[in-house]
Amino acid sequence: MPASATTDLGEVSDIDLVKLSQAGDTRAFDTLVTKYRGRIYAMTYHLIQNETEAWDLAQEAFIKAWRALPNFKQDAAFYTWLYRIAHNVTYDWLRKKKIQGDGEFDDERTEHRVAAGAEATPKGDAAPDTALRNAELGQRIQEAIARLSPEHRQVIVLREVEGLSYEEIASLVPCSLGTVMSRLFYARKKLQEQLKDVYETTL
Amino acid sequence: MKPPSEDHDLIRWLDGEMNDTERASFEARLNSDPMLAKEAEELRALSAGIQAHLPVELKVPHADFFNSQIQVRIAQMDLEESRQRQDGTASLRDSLLAWLRQPWFTAAGAVALAVLGFIWMRPQTQDPGHSLILSSYTPSLGVEASTYHDNDADATVLMLDGLDEVPADHKISGISVHRSETEPEIAATTLFDATGAPLLVITRDDAGHPLFMPNYPRG
Repeated sequence: MPASATTDLGEVSDIDLVKLSQAGDTRAFDTLVTKYRGRIYAMTYHLIQNETEAWDLAQEAFIKAWRALPNFKQDAAFYTWLYRIAHNVTYDWLRKKKIQGDGEFDDERTEHRVAAGAEATPKGDAAPDTALRNAELGQRIQEAIARLSPEHRQVIVLREVEGLSYEEIASLVPCSLGTVMSRLFYARKKLQEQLKDVYETTL
Repeated sequence: MKPPSEDHDLIRWLDGEMNDTERASFEARLNSDPMLAKEAEELRALSAGIQAHLPVELKVPHADFFNSQIQVRIAQMDLEESRQRQDGTASLRDSLLAWLRQPWFTAAGAVALAVLGFIWMRPQTQDPGHSLILSSYTPSLGVEASTYHDNDADATVLMLDGLDEVPADHKISGISVHRSETEPEIAATTLFDATGAPLLVITRDDAGHPLFMPNYPRG
């Protein structure tokens, strides 16, 4: 019986959960999966825009993490380490699929999209028309991001969704800081172009 | 489009990647350049829109199944490695043990709760009497499943915590699994009763989803 069998793992720190997992406690690892599956799944989903594939890739990331756990030295936060694995798994998949951005948007890639705006719309008593506009805007943004090349989509997700610094992005991708800045700039330009009617202002 | 250095200045300012001196200098430019200020404002609005509509966390579809599948695959890997250690000459495919998923049902009044247990059994030719529950999945969030092996009874016991109370006079009919046979080639496991009749075949469909076939006629 695992060491954690009689313990409520919900309040156990990541460090302790990792130690238990490294000792072979799958229940502790299951707690880590539960804790981070939403974030890992969001990252894979935002990058590939396909619910089924994102689900599989997120799962693959956790399995790879389990296998690599003996080598995890805890010199970084578990989530940072896990995120890197998930990112690599997803980006390898993207490379294999050779999904290209501009002009090659595939409607099927977004057909299972989580209801746009449903979870991101600010909570409150928004009027129905406001909520609808929010949902429509969310959908427009997701479609625009889906049209980006994998490289541009990657930096946008890492910067805007995950809030990583340029250095962290450069380390994760990996690429130079200049490349990060260039990709971010051109990715935003492309998004700006696609969403011109929404965000263009007049002088 | 502006030269790259200016482009970088704009996004570095937008992303908070400038130091105090750089930021002050850039903001002075913004104040004196309406076009640059307009572009900065548009990009800032775009950034805010993306952040608002791309949540950092999403609800995982079939989250319990997501976890269960991970546990099953981890157990498969562990057993596979263990097997390989024991028999270094056995090929990977020959040493792969199939896993089972066993449905459990119980009822309270009009409500029925299905519990799927993922069971790993050794092929009968090796150790017909022992089984190991690798993980369990309860569709109902209020129910928690756990298992242990009772040595005295030589049985695997499934505990379901959180079920509705079952009336004392409620009759629960169960099945007695006498033995099982696993066929790794077709990734199927068949459960038999004491008379040798098949009770249930557990396998996967073409899409990899669990497939349970009660009283499936075996060829």
